[in-house]
Amino acid sequence: MARYGMALDYKNCINCKACEVACKEENGVLLGADKHRIWVGVNELEGEWPNIALSSSVFMPSQCQHCDNAPCQEVCPTNATYYDENHVVRVDVDKCILCSYCVEACPYGARYEDPRTVTMDKCTFCSDTRLARGETTTACQNTCPTKVRTFGDLDDPNSEISQLLRNREHFSLKANLGTKPKLFYLM
Amino acid sequence: MNLNKIIPYKKMSLKELLTPDNKLMALIAVVLTALFFIGVINVLVHGHEIYNVTKDHPWGLLIAMYIFFVVSSTGLCIVGSFGDVFDFKVFAPSSKRAILGSIVTILSGFAVIAFEIGHPVRMMIYNVLTPGLTSAIWWMGTLYGLYLTFMIIEFIFLMREDMKNAKIFGLIGLLVGLAAHSNLGAVFGFLNTRLVSNGVFYPTYFILTAFITGIYLTFLMYGYYYRGKSFPENINNMLVNFAKIQGLLIAILIFFEAWKMLTGYYGGVPGRADVITHILSGNTFWLGEFMCGMFIPFIVILFSKGKATKLMVPASLIGMVGIFFMRYDLVHDTQLMPMQNFMTRVYQEMPGFVEYFPSNTEMMIGFGAIGLCLVLYYLGTKLFDLTSTCHAD
Repeated sequence: MARYGMALDYKNCINCKACEVACKEENGVLLGADKHRIWVGVNELEGEWPNIALSSSVFMPSQCQHCDNAPCQEVCPTNATYYDENHVVRVDVDKCILCSYCVEACPYGARYEDPRTVTMDKCTFCSDTRLARGETTTACQNTCPTKVRTFGDLDDPNSEISQLLRNREHFSLKANLGTKPKLFYLM
Repeated sequence: MNLNKIIPYKKMSLKELLTPDNKLMALIAVVLTALFFIGVINVLVHGHEIYNVTKDHPWGLLIAMYIFFVVSSTGLCIVGSFGDVFDFKVFAPSSKRAILGSIVTILSGFAVIAFEIGHPVRMMIYNVLTPGLTSAIWWMGTLYGLYLTFMIIEFIFLMREDMKNAKIFGLIGLLVGLAAHSNLGAVFGFLNTRLVSNGVFYPTYFILTAFITGIYLTFLMYGYYYRGKSFPENINNMLVNFAKIQGLLIAILIFFEAWKMLTGYYGGVPGRADVITHILSGNTFWLGEFMCGMFIPFIVILFSKGKATKLMVPASLIGMVGIFFMRYDLVHDTQLMPMQNFMTRVYQEMPGFVEYFPSNTEMMIGFGAIGLCLVLYYLGTKLFDLTSTCHAD
């Protein structure tokens, strides 16, 4: 079994939103659902013309961080949120009671209610779709024109993501909370 | 099976039962209850989309009203236990009425939460089959279920004047109720990412404000029962003592709140200090929580030395309005900061506060449940003799 994670070379993001479209198409996310499974954050430009800080002009692609110590899993009263065999944080829709405690607890705003199932939903790293078909990439990674995302097994020292994380400086979002996210932002 | 042997009740015809003593109160209760059921039909037809909650603000008025009711229940349980559990003779007259109140308020709270949670039936099944033991909601819900059971058993023994068993079940119910209620505080206290709520404050604050709420409601129950009349000496004596305790509790609450705000603001920590500033710049805190919930009742108690028991009745009504704002604000303020990364890189400066205002359906269910509570209380007062004083002696 793997321990899947994702590295994001976020400075390459051009905010084309192809990842959002691919995710919706692959995973059946409702059209018009804004910033649900995956989204691109936009930084405010700092400074005034002509002294604009170029370093502030970056986009921040984001999604569920698939934390190793996920607050959403910890607070779930029915264990509807669980870690699957690949350490992916998933929701068992048959057990979800829609108390929304996971939405409150998630530091990344990564959860939302799917009005079709009336349960919580979130990024699954395409576990039900692409991974289930035996593919090794996620839809967002596969479609990205600037190759922002690298998806793979963190436990495999030879995987592309493991090598990237060994060779590039990176950070995690809100790491101070001890959630141990498996999304890594490359610097 | 003779029900009267299990729990003694007054036998009366349906016509007698449905003939209220106070037409205005009956009208208020019926209208609010009707609104509750209209709201319920609305949500059953249209689903949760009819609520104004969003992915950024998933908890709204219904959670606040659920907390409002269960806080009331715990408070009344504490008040009731003074007489029948701890044997304080002066408080003995309140036991039966307070325990009835604790039962009807928690039932009303359950009625509200049943329409806030997406799948209440599934909750009952999977709470048992796959319990999430690290979840404060699981502990809170499970303990409140047990608490209700013990409260009902205690009430039965109280009505049977079996003070020994009432004391045993009252004590167990009180302890379970306190555990449940502090777990409700922990639902917010455990939110590590919500800096304004995270920590020890809410689990303890909930117990304190429950006690305060219980005393406000005791004044309201007795004020209504003896409306237009003066209180009998034993009742007045009990209420004077409750007022004095209330004065102390409100003073402690003001002290707690002051330090919560100061520690929250100190150091300008992003996500905490700005939320505190936002709270302190709003009317719901100053007019709702502070003026209604604390200051006005406190002034009445202070200047009368707790002896203005009649004046404490309207002051308690104002106090309950303040308690509502405390619940509403605690739910809303917890969610003020958006969690998603929209505009900045490292989540240190957020683009703005999340806004929320309840929908009509939320208001119908949330406020309508007050009518449900009044109807249940009315039926309880009609069916059961709550006037005789219980005491182990």
